[in-house]
Amino acid sequence: MRHTVTSRPSFARGIVGAALAAAVALGCPAKPPAPAPAPQPDSAAVARARADSVRAAAQRDSVAAAARDSAAARARADSLAQQSAAQARADSVHAQVQRDTVVAPPLTASGLDSAGDAALAAPLHFDFNRSDLLAADGPLMDRKLDLLRANPRLTIEIAGNCDDRGSAEYNLALGERRAATAKRWLVAHGIADERISVVSYGEERPLDRAETEAAWAANRRDDFRVTRGAR
Amino acid sequence: MRRGATVLVLGVIASGSLAAGARAQDSLPAGVRVGITYAPGARPGMTVVPLTAAVAAESVTTIVARDLDESDRFEMIGAPDTLARSGTPDLRVLGALGSAWVVSVSAQGPRVTLLLTDVRTGALHLRRDVTVGADAIPNRFEAHRAADDIVRAATATPGIAATEILFVDNGKIWRVDADGAAPTRLRTAGWPALSPAWSPDGRHMVYTAYVTDGQPLVLQDLASGERTVVPGTEYGLNITPEFSRDGRRIAFAHGTESGTDIYVYQLGAAAWQRLTVGRFADNLSPTWSPDGTRIAFISTRARTPQLYVMSADGTDPELLGRFDYGATGQTQAPAWSPDGQFIAFHRDVNGVPQLFILDADTRAVRQLTGAGRNEDPSWAPDGRHLVFTSDRSGARELWVLDIETGRVRQLTHLGGARLPAWSPALGGSTP
Repeated sequence: MRHTVTSRPSFARGIVGAALAAAVALGCPAKPPAPAPAPQPDSAAVARARADSVRAAAQRDSVAAAARDSAAARARADSLAQQSAAQARADSVHAQVQRDTVVAPPLTASGLDSAGDAALAAPLHFDFNRSDLLAADGPLMDRKLDLLRANPRLTIEIAGNCDDRGSAEYNLALGERRAATAKRWLVAHGIADERISVVSYGEERPLDRAETEAAWAANRRDDFRVTRGAR
Repeated sequence: MRRGATVLVLGVIASGSLAAGARAQDSLPAGVRVGITYAPGARPGMTVVPLTAAVAAESVTTIVARDLDESDRFEMIGAPDTLARSGTPDLRVLGALGSAWVVSVSAQGPRVTLLLTDVRTGALHLRRDVTVGADAIPNRFEAHRAADDIVRAATATPGIAATEILFVDNGKIWRVDADGAAPTRLRTAGWPALSPAWSPDGRHMVYTAYVTDGQPLVLQDLASGERTVVPGTEYGLNITPEFSRDGRRIAFAHGTESGTDIYVYQLGAAAWQRLTVGRFADNLSPTWSPDGTRIAFISTRARTPQLYVMSADGTDPELLGRFDYGATGQTQAPAWSPDGQFIAFHRDVNGVPQLFILDADTRAVRQLTGAGRNEDPSWAPDGRHLVFTSDRSGARELWVLDIETGRVRQLTHLGGARLPAWSPALGGSTP
């Protein structure tokens, strides 16, 4: 109980911070629109100044336009790269269903020190039939967030898992929600969406097959796996 | 033409015993001891008797008698030893025992012949042949089909003997005959493979396969083993597929980071239609009404998973059945019956899943099970039997329940069977 209470503030602060960041990103106006300029007496100096200002503005516009173009081009390239990656993945799915077995993905080293490695891999836990993050896991999430921020090359997969008390099919959907909840929290705190993939194993991969409260609690979890190392 | 001639000839033979049959109403022949007094109920008495001592005839008698028993349409009445292997069935004795029907089984060379006779009138109603292979082993599937034809001829309802059940054991899909014979592991994609569903022609199945880069729906030809991915399911989580009864559409649930929703894929047209917009709620386990106009499904839109129904285009969703918040447990795995009358599902009762059926018209709900955990019902094509998963024997196995009599039998003995799907009638049963 005490642990839960003490861990809540940093976790809650994180959520507020994310909300603020989102508000800024959504484009809250930084300052009010400038008032219309008052009429000025004309003179050569003023005319020169105005011409300079027009030139400068034009220059600014063209720089901005170039930046916009390059951003658009970059976005296009990114989106094309993402599309072709998705296409490659779809092609591999077609090939993979012809096999009777699954080739386990290779283990990828995190490239972190052992403490970082352990913090990144530590599972999150959930209440029965719930997918919200537990306050007790707040410090763990903060630590994972720090590691992902400090190591921008690092990418991960979050796998949602369930105990076997619900229906097998419903648990697939519930596991997906559990993985997605953790991902959403990290993305809301600034981690790029494409650095985190999610998968659900429902009740298919229990850690403990016993039918006890302790086993069920251990099985209701998000596992974290490194898909690209920090180095 | 040929069949008509056979019936005529046999009809003449049978009519010889008609008078004898009528006399049997009043008196029993001396020396025949009747062990039971049959009280005529809703179900007609049925006797299956081998007329020859051939091994093949005995085998077919055993298979067909069990099929007829497991149809739950008859009161099975054993034939006294004096009747078996006697060459012709004594209708007087059978009538006295309470049999309304007799199936007599005889063997001639590579063929076993079954004759269905009305005990009261002596009229022959059906003749079926079963081929016998090497070592006097009869073709089991032909025997099952003959049993289904007998059920239809005697009761005007479909049998379920010539069917199979697909299920999951240890992450692979298996098939087993409806009488529990020949459980066989199939070659399926990836691991685990989950939630098999039959195409209505019985030739294909569709299921979820976990492969390295996704959880697609795999459409697999059951004869050739050929596999294709249902287009669009290369991405995300794709679960709980079910064919519409016309075989042209597959409803399924597609999960992404923003929730799980129901989609319909139109075969051939390569077109998807999204039916639900969950916004972080889960919508899954779609099941078609037999006419294809409605889909029942599970949704967490009110938090606890409950049973809903909507039009097949996704409009007019509504909660099915009474729901008391906090009192009605999680509801899962709906299956619409082939006749459209019931939706079977499982619902938590004190934290333990039990089978229920909901009447689609009156919305009355009836609990069917109480012993152990009972989950994931699937309807037999006769609309009165359900196959489901139960741990009542200690391990998860498949069991079959007759919703009319409440009779239950164990189908598998493998130690981990689950997620069953009962096939349509297979192999073109003749009416």
